[in-house]
Amino acid sequence: MSVTEVIPLLVVGLLLLSASGVEPDRIDVVVDGDHVVTDVDDALAVGGGTVTVPGDATLDGHLLVVGGNVTLAGQVTGDVRLVAGSLTVADGATITGELQALSGNLSVAPGAAVARRSTIELTDTAPSPWRSVGFLAMQALVVALAGAWLTRRAPGLLENVGDAVTEHAVVSGTVGAIAGLSLLVLFVYMAFTLVLLPLSIVGLLAEVGVVAYAYLVYGYLVGRRLPVDRPALATALGSVAFLLGVELLGHLPLVGTLVQLGLVVVGFGAVLVTYFGLQEFEPAVIPG
Amino acid sequence: MRLAEHLRARDWPVVFGYLLFVVLMAAGYYYNVTFVQLGLIDLGTRHVGLSGAAVSAWMAGLALLTFGVAVAMGVAMDRRGWSRNFRTKLRILLGVVVVQFGLTVVAPTIRSVEAFGVWIVLASITLGVGFPASFSLAIDLVPVPDRGYVAAAITAVTYVAANAVPLAWSIEVFSRVMVLAMVPGILVLAALVSGRVPGLKRVVDRLATRHEEIGPGRFCRPTPVQTRSLAFAAPVVLMFGVFFIDSLGFLRIIETPALVLSSWQSPELSTRLLIAAVHAVGALMAGVLYTNFRRNGLFLWVFALFGLTYVLYTSDLRLGALFPTLAGDAPSIVNPLFYALTVSFYTTLNFALWPDLATADTIGTHSAIGIGMAGWLATFVSTAVALYLDVADVGLLTHLNLVNALALLLLFGLVVGLYARRMVGLYRGAGG
Repeated sequence: MSVTEVIPLLVVGLLLLSASGVEPDRIDVVVDGDHVVTDVDDALAVGGGTVTVPGDATLDGHLLVVGGNVTLAGQVTGDVRLVAGSLTVADGATITGELQALSGNLSVAPGAAVARRSTIELTDTAPSPWRSVGFLAMQALVVALAGAWLTRRAPGLLENVGDAVTEHAVVSGTVGAIAGLSLLVLFVYMAFTLVLLPLSIVGLLAEVGVVAYAYLVYGYLVGRRLPVDRPALATALGSVAFLLGVELLGHLPLVGTLVQLGLVVVGFGAVLVTYFGLQEFEPAVIPG
Repeated sequence: MRLAEHLRARDWPVVFGYLLFVVLMAAGYYYNVTFVQLGLIDLGTRHVGLSGAAVSAWMAGLALLTFGVAVAMGVAMDRRGWSRNFRTKLRILLGVVVVQFGLTVVAPTIRSVEAFGVWIVLASITLGVGFPASFSLAIDLVPVPDRGYVAAAITAVTYVAANAVPLAWSIEVFSRVMVLAMVPGILVLAALVSGRVPGLKRVVDRLATRHEEIGPGRFCRPTPVQTRSLAFAAPVVLMFGVFFIDSLGFLRIIETPALVLSSWQSPELSTRLLIAAVHAVGALMAGVLYTNFRRNGLFLWVFALFGLTYVLYTSDLRLGALFPTLAGDAPSIVNPLFYALTVSFYTTLNFALWPDLATADTIGTHSAIGIGMAGWLATFVSTAVALYLDVADVGLLTHLNLVNALALLLLFGLVVGLYARRMVGLYRGAGG
């Protein structure tokens, strides 16, 4: 597992440890190499590498495993959580707190002493085609209803954003790319501070919301070209058609993904430059 | 774009003008960011035997002297009417390039502090004379609506060349490359200036009068921006802030092997190509934004991106300090990529802004003050501050944290300033 894959798990794990009252600066973190650990400040988080706690060692704190291989032969006075990776609890090892296994490979020898033990089973079922179709139908229904409602209540909003998409695609794409990327990186780094994690989740959800809004706009644009007189119905049908089109694009390797990405970026920027459609986008007038 | 119209009309002299401007500016900027900024550090420390701090002090002196010479030159150009005379500007540039050619040839042979000092003084004079003359060509060669895109092209060409072509940061290598690049430049400029090549004479004749049509910049229509006005002072202060932040941060980054060897001086060509590509994309984005939005929007973007970039750098360092094993051996490539994006944004803005804040009567003064204050004086001040921080044994994290705070402060100040200006406008509109 790479560091970038470990980091999100570590963030979650560190949050769990913080919730237990552990200060982040008193957590020892291991992500690579071979280590023999005999003591810790308040907690030990393992994201990779190999860690051995020898039989005569006592870790006065919690142990968190999100990657790598950990062999516990000594004693842990706090809780032990296995999120991913591998944990071997050897004969003679002692866990005074609770041993929780969410995922990963856990092996507990019969001679190990564990005060409490819990396992959360995550079953991985093969995706059913009916389930995918049902999910797509539900998405289509939601965007159709939202598109129809917005067209009926405030048609000007969709029109303004739609005009930005069609008339100023380059500008919208530029703004969408730079704003979308910057905000994404900002929110991810906010998550690393732990303190700002809730705000970063809200921010990421807001980004998804802007993309969803852009989807409605595309639905509106497709609907305008359909031979349907009622605007609300046309937007609803257009939204469904657009959603299906995007889904089909996903089956085209590379080109389909690039087109999807382009649509998202242009739509994202168009929503922003028109203030969600509250005003028409007018590029600066340059004399000369 | 006007360029498309000129291409359709087969107006080749005007198309040649675009090309000439991009090549001249990109070559000049490339010379500055590589030979002057990186080559002199190598020359001073390795050949002359000066300490890093001493070389930085000389570099600060170069920046200050260049600023002084540029302002004097810019004012002289406007007062004597050289700013309006295309041929005169080409002659000045030819003289500058010839002297710089000589300086570039002799640079690797310098071994004493005295010779190094003389070289610095002469280089300052050529740079100070050269950049108002070269920037003022915009009023002859680039129509106002195309200045954002042309600025983007200059930025993209320069940074792609600087990053994609693997050059060791040594004075000998830079000198060899620059000498080779300058020879055709001198020949073309000489041919243009001589007036003896019939085809080129027609081109110069056609371009010589264009300033009457395309001279007044974007922000000078209908009313020209005065040198002593808030409309000119505000962008100067903002650009000073941008250059100061960039220089203060970059001076420390290039002194940190772990940061520079994983990015700008990475042995991996793919890493440098990625940075070059981001520079090019960033420049094109900035060109689109400059052309389609008001000026302050781009300043906001620049400060926001600088703030974000340094947040990324400082977050990595904090994470590394907190969890040493988590940091690993290679710093994140995301940080220099954002840095490249930000630098492309403000460089594009810099190339387009000063001609757009000037007319044919003020281009010399405005470009000299603008670039002199923002580019050279900011470099002088930031180098002095960086030296002070170095002497005071300030750590990398604290240093970059300071730069980050400045970027965020400028972002905040700009937002508040724009909001306050709008409020004042509303108050006055309401008859207050």
